[in-house]
Amino acid sequence: MLLPRLTFLVLLLLCGTMLYAQQTITGKTQDSNTGRPIPGVTVRIPNSNRGTVTGADGKFSIILPNTAASTTLIFSSTGYKTKTVTANANAGPLTVSLEENLSVMDEVVVTGMATSVKRRNLANAVATISSKQLSGVAPAQTFDAALSGKIPGALITANSGAPGGGISVKLRGITSVFGNSQPLYVVDGIFFNNNSIPAGLNDVTAAATAGNPNNQDNPSSRIADLNPADIENIEILKGASAAALYGAKAAAGVIIITTKKGKNGKTSISVNQETGIVKARHLLGVRSFTPETAADLAGPSSSADPDVIKARAWYKYKFEQARATGKIFDYEKEMYGETGIISNTSIALSGGAEKTTFYLSGNRRKEDGIIKNTGYLNNSVRLNVDHKVNDRISVSVTTNYINSSADRGLTNNDNNGVSYGVALSSTPGWIDLYPNAVGVYPRDSFAASNPLETRDKMTNNETTNRFVGGGNINAILAQSKTSTTKIVLRGGVDYFNFRTTALFPREIQFEEKGMEGHSIQSNSNNLNTNLAGFLINIFNPGKNLTLTSTLGATYETGNFDNISTTATNITSGQSNLDQSGSTTVRQFRQQFRDNGIFLQEDLTLLEDITISGGVRFDRSTNNGDYKKYYVYPKASFSWNLAQRFLANVSAIDFIKIRAAYGQSGNIPPYGSKFTSLIPSNINTLPGLLNDNLRGNPDILPERQAELETGLDFGLFNNRIRLEATYYNKKINDLLLRRALNASSGYSSEWKNSGDLRNTGIELGLTTVPLTMKNLRWTATLNWWKNKAIVTKLTIPPFAIGAFGNSLGTYYLEEGQPATQIKGISGGALQLLGNSEPKFQMSFFNEFTICRNFSLQFLLHWKNGGQNINLTQLLTDAGATSFDYDEEYKGTKLGAYRVSAGDAAIYVQDAAYVRLREVALYYNVPLRNTNYIKGIRVGVSANNFFTWTKYVGYDPEVSNFGSNTMTTTQSRGSNGISSGVDVMPFPASKRASFHLGVNF
Amino acid sequence: MLVLLSCRKGEIPNLNNPTTSGIVINTSKSSLNNLATGAESGMRRDVTAYLDAVGIIGREIYRFSGSEPRYTTDLLGGGTKELDNNSFYLTNPWASRYLVVRQCFILLQAAAASKFITDAERKGYTGFAKTIIGYQLLLNLNMTNTNGIRIPNSDPTYIGAVIKDPVQARDTILKFLQEGADDLSGASVIFPLSEGFAGFSNAAGLRKFNRAIAARVFLYNQKWANALTALNESFFDLNGSLTAGVYHYFSTGGGDMANPLFMAPGSTGDMRLLHPGYATDIIPGDTRINKAPVRPVPGSQSGLSSNREVWIWKSLNDPVNIIRNEELILIYAEAKAQLSSLPDAIVAVNRIRTAYNLPAYAGAVTTAGLIGEILYQRRYSLLGEGHRWVDLRRYDRLGTLPKDRPDDDVWPQFPLPQNEVNI
Repeated sequence: MLLPRLTFLVLLLLCGTMLYAQQTITGKTQDSNTGRPIPGVTVRIPNSNRGTVTGADGKFSIILPNTAASTTLIFSSTGYKTKTVTANANAGPLTVSLEENLSVMDEVVVTGMATSVKRRNLANAVATISSKQLSGVAPAQTFDAALSGKIPGALITANSGAPGGGISVKLRGITSVFGNSQPLYVVDGIFFNNNSIPAGLNDVTAAATAGNPNNQDNPSSRIADLNPADIENIEILKGASAAALYGAKAAAGVIIITTKKGKNGKTSISVNQETGIVKARHLLGVRSFTPETAADLAGPSSSADPDVIKARAWYKYKFEQARATGKIFDYEKEMYGETGIISNTSIALSGGAEKTTFYLSGNRRKEDGIIKNTGYLNNSVRLNVDHKVNDRISVSVTTNYINSSADRGLTNNDNNGVSYGVALSSTPGWIDLYPNAVGVYPRDSFAASNPLETRDKMTNNETTNRFVGGGNINAILAQSKTSTTKIVLRGGVDYFNFRTTALFPREIQFEEKGMEGHSIQSNSNNLNTNLAGFLINIFNPGKNLTLTSTLGATYETGNFDNISTTATNITSGQSNLDQSGSTTVRQFRQQFRDNGIFLQEDLTLLEDITISGGVRFDRSTNNGDYKKYYVYPKASFSWNLAQRFLANVSAIDFIKIRAAYGQSGNIPPYGSKFTSLIPSNINTLPGLLNDNLRGNPDILPERQAELETGLDFGLFNNRIRLEATYYNKKINDLLLRRALNASSGYSSEWKNSGDLRNTGIELGLTTVPLTMKNLRWTATLNWWKNKAIVTKLTIPPFAIGAFGNSLGTYYLEEGQPATQIKGISGGALQLLGNSEPKFQMSFFNEFTICRNFSLQFLLHWKNGGQNINLTQLLTDAGATSFDYDEEYKGTKLGAYRVSAGDAAIYVQDAAYVRLREVALYYNVPLRNTNYIKGIRVGVSANNFFTWTKYVGYDPEVSNFGSNTMTTTQSRGSNGISSGVDVMPFPASKRASFHLGVNF
Repeated sequence: MLVLLSCRKGEIPNLNNPTTSGIVINTSKSSLNNLATGAESGMRRDVTAYLDAVGIIGREIYRFSGSEPRYTTDLLGGGTKELDNNSFYLTNPWASRYLVVRQCFILLQAAAASKFITDAERKGYTGFAKTIIGYQLLLNLNMTNTNGIRIPNSDPTYIGAVIKDPVQARDTILKFLQEGADDLSGASVIFPLSEGFAGFSNAAGLRKFNRAIAARVFLYNQKWANALTALNESFFDLNGSLTAGVYHYFSTGGGDMANPLFMAPGSTGDMRLLHPGYATDIIPGDTRINKAPVRPVPGSQSGLSSNREVWIWKSLNDPVNIIRNEELILIYAEAKAQLSSLPDAIVAVNRIRTAYNLPAYAGAVTTAGLIGEILYQRRYSLLGEGHRWVDLRRYDRLGTLPKDRPDDDVWPQFPLPQNEVNI
């Protein structure tokens, strides 16, 4: 016994002295095909903790651990085949050529909450989006918009074009109608809040007071706060079979975002600047009047009423006078025709030493909207630090501060004629709305407001101050040749203050004789925390068997507090809440605590069979029974057949069959178990009035069970890869805010009352049609479709919006598509359409020409899917539609449409083909530069071309938003009523110039 | 970890509001008062939608709106074959009336169980609640008529049959009103009411209000004698102020509701205009034309136009009528005429005529002649207050309403809402 101990001691002493004799190997990596340096290659000495990463110029240097001058180095990088090289410190700088790897099978995918598998063993179709695909092509305004067309199985819709975002992401059809329908965003292990909080505009617009009680304020979604440039990688778990371990938050899928980490070695600095313009994608056009049609606005020519005859003559005169003086205006263009300037600056520093690495970035994104006085500003700072305490323990910390401000104008539905679009819809171009010499705006005699005045004098600002931070501790508890046991502890905090300011001065048209000014200001404070701990054991007795066991526990809390004040009768020129004649205050709070425990086993046999099983126990204070644990199991299997059976068929690189099954839940929204008495005061007396929504003390989470099967293969050295997936996602105990017979005193009630089924197919084909020295072409073709059917409804069918049967409404009915649209046509309620696309397809191409040019484009085709086009209805009713005067059935088309009493007219196909992204970049070749390591210039266009028959600003639209929260006073959005088009903020397109420099 | 998980426990309560199940348990006086105030406040919800819908179909008003074309399409029948059973003009007022009915049942339940009040005080709450139930049910029945209403009870899950016979439905309403009146007879009212109930906020006053509503319901049921009896117990005063009565209080004060019917004169885009027939048919000299002054520019939408605007609610703080003496005088006149007490009827008619600068009644002294006269007076006295359509339907005279455009219809009643049909 003495000898080994002594040996150990001696070795230890030797180590100490050897530190001074360490040697360094330097070198560079390059692409074997193009000869270009490859940055970001991990260089590692096997069986040690030593490693480094190549810099922007492809260079690296690594210190050897012992006196030996030679060692084995492993070079690995995404997109390249891993290479092992024997290097000698005395042999001078090393040049390592890496061969491109067309297979993505070695890519590591995070599947568990703390574990990952290689793609070759993955049982689910997990979509991965790299930083290059996300912001490297043609950047979108916000991070979520950049996902459009890139995720097979997703229906991504922009709710409006307003600066600051607002995107609906639905993975694999309809996950929930009244529960959460949007995916969970996890950024570096921190649950990232994505609520949309209304700004209280309803006090001005009264949008939710008539046809539909749901909020129509068009708030932004908080995921837009995230800086896309910080994102390294996104993985999308689309349903319960992949995301079951996230339990009752994962029903709508999980979007796992990993931000960039520091790399050890010389500090690299990267500066990127985008400068561009933003313009409306499409304007509808306005009606061209004649003296006769102008007169018709006063009443029909057949009228014998002397007042009508007089008014007709007056309008005719006004029109002729306007025409004579050249004062016929295109107010649509005036309102929506601005060209906004984009300026997006980011700077990132990355570096560190062996033990500690950091990534520090700052970003400023500023852009103007296509409407005057609208725009978006986002400033963010991120610091990610990774530190190795010792060989066993590593710690990482991510911090992110965001300050964003969005000026969003006043758009969408309203019932007071005050929003831009609604006012425009009844305003002909031959009246003058421009201010006079002293700045007084004329009254719009055809609308309740002068949209130019409203635009110039109002404010609708959302300001967010947000801190998101988290830490992760990895510790190896025990390690032997065959077994490693480690513990992972993770905690995260997401705090934001969200402030909305909506100001309408007393002198604007709709205020002057009404409420005499509004100042609506709200402050929301939100704190989410999440804590998790995992105990992981990896048992690896040999090459042919790996068994990973994970035991985990998670705990999440949320605390939201919104206080909003509406002041009216505002002192002239003032905006403070106390500068007013009257104030009304509202408060809304919500809290939750969720916790879960799970166990997972992953078994890999012979490197090509993976069997995995797990179970999660979940509970939440939002459930009717807050103490009860709900059980969500999962299991999966994948088998790579090629190695075993087709090893000598050289054309086939791999062929994998896979199946995965999993369950998850969807927690009922906060407050759904209570029947509330809400404030309703009269004459200074405090009153309590029963809410028209009945709570349900027995409310259960929705339960989702998803089965996914697939076949993946790669052919001809992986130049052709296909991923084919079929899924069947069932939702039981559907959480419905179902309609009640209002004679009960309640209009709706929370109830678990049905089942829903989504079946779908996702196909992904990646090919490399050409690979030559000076031209390389890669193409990815995705095709996907989903069918959502209400398989069971234990309650009577009911309409869930938009605005009643006479204008077309979504209608939940057993045996019918979940997204069907019904309406009154031919005197009866009948099926008019379905908002679900027949299928979607996207086609991404990248050409690398002469090494340094890269051309990329993404085409997206949404086939089918109807919208309810009430924008057209309102322009018809206001007699301003561009095609109003076309002849139809002996009358004018616009007049026919609005008075036909046929809801089918406004339920319209919203299919489109869109060039989502196109970009050309050039890497400036640099020689003998000491400081600058890379320069990249480029031009890009985002959503620049759309081919559609849809008559609206854009086929992507949603008056009701996607994840607007429900408060005491307002109902939030549901998972179905998208595609309702009511005078939205017109969608925009962008074109930019890019310059990137690496130091 | 486990220590951490167990650090906070317990259910998270409703952080924002009291719950219905909690408030009915041994309710305090202040909570009962909050509920009574809530009932009064809740009656104002969607009063605009009701008055607009009934006024448009009854060809009293036009409602032009840049954001809502259905006021000129659906409600006037332009193009449509039927009235939508799932649109705001029906579903919103319908639901709000029943919401208040439910509120009153909660108040009844809370008052019955409360140990903090005397029996007389209890009767104050219950008498008020039952009166409001009766009134709210009547408004919904006015909309659906022979398509019927349901009569709820204290159990919110109970779904009663649809009573399609309006007479029978009104008898049920009268029963609620009678029970309310009986309760109020020996009651002590300790809850506050708004200024809309000024003069009627004690037990005797509320009973008078109750009997006034009952008089209207008896009239609709052609129980002429009962109507007169109820009038006698109400605040009916042949020579009293025409505007005396009970109102919905509105105010721009903090936390209150501003009068949603107010529209500034000359407003554009969103307009509540007079149906031109009102001005055409008015007897020259009738000062009630002042309820609808001429606009600087006529309003027009979808082939309809009008040069007068309804000017009844003149500020955001103006009250909206529930029932007032002018209607009671006309109820008196009508009941008397139907009972062939023609001189009494003429006295009442002349009370109205002289108030509006018209000469004394000189038409045929017959029941038929007087009914025609009374319908005229009701049309002009109660403009915009939700009567004309109901009155013409009572006398089967909807056919006399003008259709402004060839495809228009005069709807006799609203359908039963979709969610009452899909049960």
